[in-house]
Amino acid sequence: MASRSSSEPERTRASRVGGWCVLLIAALAMTLLAACVTVRPEDKEFLAEPAMTFGSGGEARAQDEHVFVNREGSFGAGGVSGGGCGCN
Amino acid sequence: MQLRLPRPAAAAATAILLLGAGVARAESGIGTTTTFFHESGGALDMTVLTPSAHATVDMGEAATVSARWEADVVSGASVAVVDAPGGTVDAITSATTLSDVRHVFGGSLTFNDDNTSLTGTYDYGFEEDYRSHGMSISARAEMFERNTAFEVSYARGWDRVCTLLQPRAQEAVDRSRLPNADGCFQAEMERDTVDVSLQTFQGGWTQAWTPVLTTQLTLTAQILNGFQGNPYRAVWLGRTAAQEHHPENRARYAAGLGVRFWVKPLRGAAQLFGRLYRDSWGVESFTGEIAYDQAILAGLRLKARGRYYTQIGASFYSDDYQRFPQGQYFTGDRELSPMSSVTVGGQLTWDVPGNEEGDVLGFLGGLEIVGKADLIFHDFSEFHYGRAEVPTDTALMATFGIEAIF
Repeated sequence: MASRSSSEPERTRASRVGGWCVLLIAALAMTLLAACVTVRPEDKEFLAEPAMTFGSGGEARAQDEHVFVNREGSFGAGGVSGGGCGCN
Repeated sequence: MQLRLPRPAAAAATAILLLGAGVARAESGIGTTTTFFHESGGALDMTVLTPSAHATVDMGEAATVSARWEADVVSGASVAVVDAPGGTVDAITSATTLSDVRHVFGGSLTFNDDNTSLTGTYDYGFEEDYRSHGMSISARAEMFERNTAFEVSYARGWDRVCTLLQPRAQEAVDRSRLPNADGCFQAEMERDTVDVSLQTFQGGWTQAWTPVLTTQLTLTAQILNGFQGNPYRAVWLGRTAAQEHHPENRARYAAGLGVRFWVKPLRGAAQLFGRLYRDSWGVESFTGEIAYDQAILAGLRLKARGRYYTQIGASFYSDDYQRFPQGQYFTGDRELSPMSSVTVGGQLTWDVPGNEEGDVLGFLGGLEIVGKADLIFHDFSEFHYGRAEVPTDTALMATFGIEAIF
């Protein structure tokens, strides 16, 4: 019992460190992946359309979320403002 | 006077959504939007009118200031004591009327650079039985020829809820529900206030992959501490009814992925969205949304959408606490039961075309008018009022908005 109680916190700590390492590696991989993508400014005609811009719904979108947050048991990850298209 | 909305979540959502609105706009303008929500069935009904207005002033190239107001005008009839033995049929006959108005005033300040921005917001909300203060800060950076945008934000909320004055050491099963909001925040002897603290962390990665494909990944974590039940609602436990009793701590995690694809032959955009959610109360959910946005005339766009939502209920949820108690906690909140919903609707957006100089109506830089309507069909398969099913399982949501840019 004594060895089990001493190893469990160590395993928890190792698991946390492992989790942070995975997150760090994922973030680095994400940045590298993003850096490899090239869409030239002159090719962004369609990306600049409002229908292609995240968060372009403004207040109507916010009130939409407001209703769903109050009618469901979950919350979050509904999106952030647009971008990534070089048009705002 | 019995508002039955989970306000802590709503306040946090307001703060986060304010962030998005603040960052996205860098032009002076004003706008107003109103949403009408209605559901009814049997003796129950709920109507919420949500008007809002905002103004944004561009202070040169470096800063933007905005102010915002929003209200929730709520009226209807709800069940105060869930599962109470109510004669021959069900507890719905004990429905009580409610009405309340919530106001939120807020402002934001954004500092802009060529590729970065920093936004701070503050908002204050109040109603008869609730007070909330919320602050948030967000940072955003665009890089790699603006094909990539990263955004991080943090929101903090301090809320206070009115409840019935009762001994703090009293057992939860002996607590009574708040009968009405009379005397709340007025040093009334029979009223008390309890705190709710909120912290919300959010990160977003928006990426343009090709000239016709863009994605957005959003991660959210939220920590809530304090009173998270509805002070007006009681649950029948067998011999008596007690004010619903939720855990004081809740950690919530969500990940969402949006994909937008431009369909060249049709000159329209296909939009997909998926979200996974879980929290420390045992609620797990999936949201899937598909939409198509089509340009039909100059400046006129029509959007159709469908949304599906499903969730596993909280670990302490029971449809009948008299026969199947789930530990020390009990709730009468249908949003904590296993449930699903389907939403279908459409939106019409008119970006009013300008003259040769680009002016609209001779003095505006832009004018956008939005109208949308959705029908929401709920399925509360494991939530009943006594033996009766939830009668208010269909809702209408309609929004109208005007946005003018100077």
